[in-house]
Amino acid sequence: MTLEFAYYPGCAAKQIQREADQAARAVCQELGITLKNMPRASCCGAVSLRETKPAFAMAVAARILSEAEAMGKDLVTICNTCLQTLTHANYRLSNEPELRDKINAVLTESGVRPYEGSIKVRHLLWVVTDLVDPRILSSRITKPLKGLRIAGFYGCHSLRPEEIFNHTTQQAEGRHLERLIRLMGGVPVEYVGQDRCCGFHVMLSDKHEMHAMVAKNCLSAKDAGAQIMITPCTLCDMIMGSVQQIAEKSVQRTINLPEMNFAQLLGLSMGISKDQLGISRLHVDPTAALASVGLA
Amino acid sequence: MTVQTYTFRIQRNMPGQVGAVQSHWQDYQVEAEPNTTILTLLETIKGGQDGSLTFRQSCRSAICGSCAITISGRTRLACKTHVGAVAKDGLVEIAPQKNQPILKDLAIDIRPFFAKVHAIKPYLQDGPESAGKVTSTAYDQVNHVTQCIMCACCYSECTMTEVNPRYTGPAALAKAFRFVSDPREGRKTERLQELSKQDGMWSCARCTLCVDVCPKEVAPMEAIIKLRTRGMGKGFTDAAGPRHALAFHEDINQTGQLNEFTLMMRTLGIFGALKETGMALHLAKKGKIPSPFPHYVDGVEELRRIYQSLERTPVDVETKAKEAVPE
Repeated sequence: MTLEFAYYPGCAAKQIQREADQAARAVCQELGITLKNMPRASCCGAVSLRETKPAFAMAVAARILSEAEAMGKDLVTICNTCLQTLTHANYRLSNEPELRDKINAVLTESGVRPYEGSIKVRHLLWVVTDLVDPRILSSRITKPLKGLRIAGFYGCHSLRPEEIFNHTTQQAEGRHLERLIRLMGGVPVEYVGQDRCCGFHVMLSDKHEMHAMVAKNCLSAKDAGAQIMITPCTLCDMIMGSVQQIAEKSVQRTINLPEMNFAQLLGLSMGISKDQLGISRLHVDPTAALASVGLA
Repeated sequence: MTVQTYTFRIQRNMPGQVGAVQSHWQDYQVEAEPNTTILTLLETIKGGQDGSLTFRQSCRSAICGSCAITISGRTRLACKTHVGAVAKDGLVEIAPQKNQPILKDLAIDIRPFFAKVHAIKPYLQDGPESAGKVTSTAYDQVNHVTQCIMCACCYSECTMTEVNPRYTGPAALAKAFRFVSDPREGRKTERLQELSKQDGMWSCARCTLCVDVCPKEVAPMEAIIKLRTRGMGKGFTDAAGPRHALAFHEDINQTGQLNEFTLMMRTLGIFGALKETGMALHLAKKGKIPSPFPHYVDGVEELRRIYQSLERTPVDVETKAKEAVPE
């Protein structure tokens, strides 16, 4: 099958977490996945917009989904919160015809193509592990991670609520990060906290609590033997990676767990250059962990 | 159904000196069909193998909420959980609820949980906002949350409660929504003001665990989202949470994209943002500086038209509870 998608990186990947977008594009190019830009797509609004303006939030999401539908492609993202927001809207717009009619009336009146409810919202991690032929993926892993112990951190918004996500994302056959880690030649680390909250959505309102969440999750992974952590989400990346050293000071514990987006580590295992993957933009230096498996 | 042998690895907790609890894990073997409930098997163990094992139970019908414990990592009702659905290679790990003081074995002290429920005043109050008439659709919000059985599964899993024991928590907030949305309630605004304070509804981190673990489909986080909408609607916007939320529609209207450069300032105010200069500099060390120049998405005028249309003619998109009909 041809793997062509309407690509929705999300606001964080366009600015602060740009390296995740670079890595996603580089990896997709190697794997024969075509990512088509969505020039009209706005910010999804996250749960915040659902709180302030629930109907506007639904219409904004419908407009994004409609753009992908007009392109004739399923939508792919690399941000868990965008994934949850758009999946939630897609779920309701597909299952509640009355709601879809009401929202489409507003779209039409505003000069926007109505949304017919025909596309799927996917995470790039799911595309790589579920849709790319595992033999092709394995053949591209030219720098296998030789037993590197890797903690997969899922975060919340690619797993829950179960009602809107296909249950396979949560059950044993889900386990997308673990499957990818094995394909890359690494060893998935089991630890408590991999499906818990990174704290992103309270980073400004409850920052000490956010720091405590970062420390709890990272230390749990480290205590279980993790040398490195990967996430499928640019917001988790920002918190567990970029903010980790601030959390360290706040909770007065040394963490020092290198963290990166799954696409960055996948890129490294495929022999893509560190520059292209934006590795130098990581706050917690992964050099030592990578050098231990010959990826200096 | 075939009978299998399951290993129950149960956390045994004994009260020690000065309130400290001593814990160890103890294994029990039980024979059961996969659709046997965990509660039945705990009773089998207590009756036939170890009378000292302590746990709470009462109705056996998922209506009293007494038997909520941690089963294979998640808080669930023992009476509603089939062993075959949670065993991993024949092993079931059982522990008390999280985020709660342990009394003995699987029994926890439920008082701190109920103190939070009592704090939101879980009863109708007379007051200026009491509706005289109650229409047939008046309960389409209330009925979302009335099926809560106070089992505390959500509270046990709540990631915010884990790091902030002062946080009101999902069950109490869902209960608060039940009264805020009840047409007969007389003090809705007062309630929203109270809930907008520190450690209240704005502290939810939206991890959505409460939605997935609730055995009665209450979806506490959805109730919290609706509380926030109503709180902002009453003008309670003077805190980081609501200010942050309000930034989104401003930006989407203006450019279509979130302006991360000004987001912190708008959320925390000038002085608050200055206190976070260290964080901004830390991010800047690795070139993580959001662009101060807004990027406009194509067709941004469509977004403005949508917004204006909805401001003129509001559309109700809130989920409605199914009508409660007698069985």
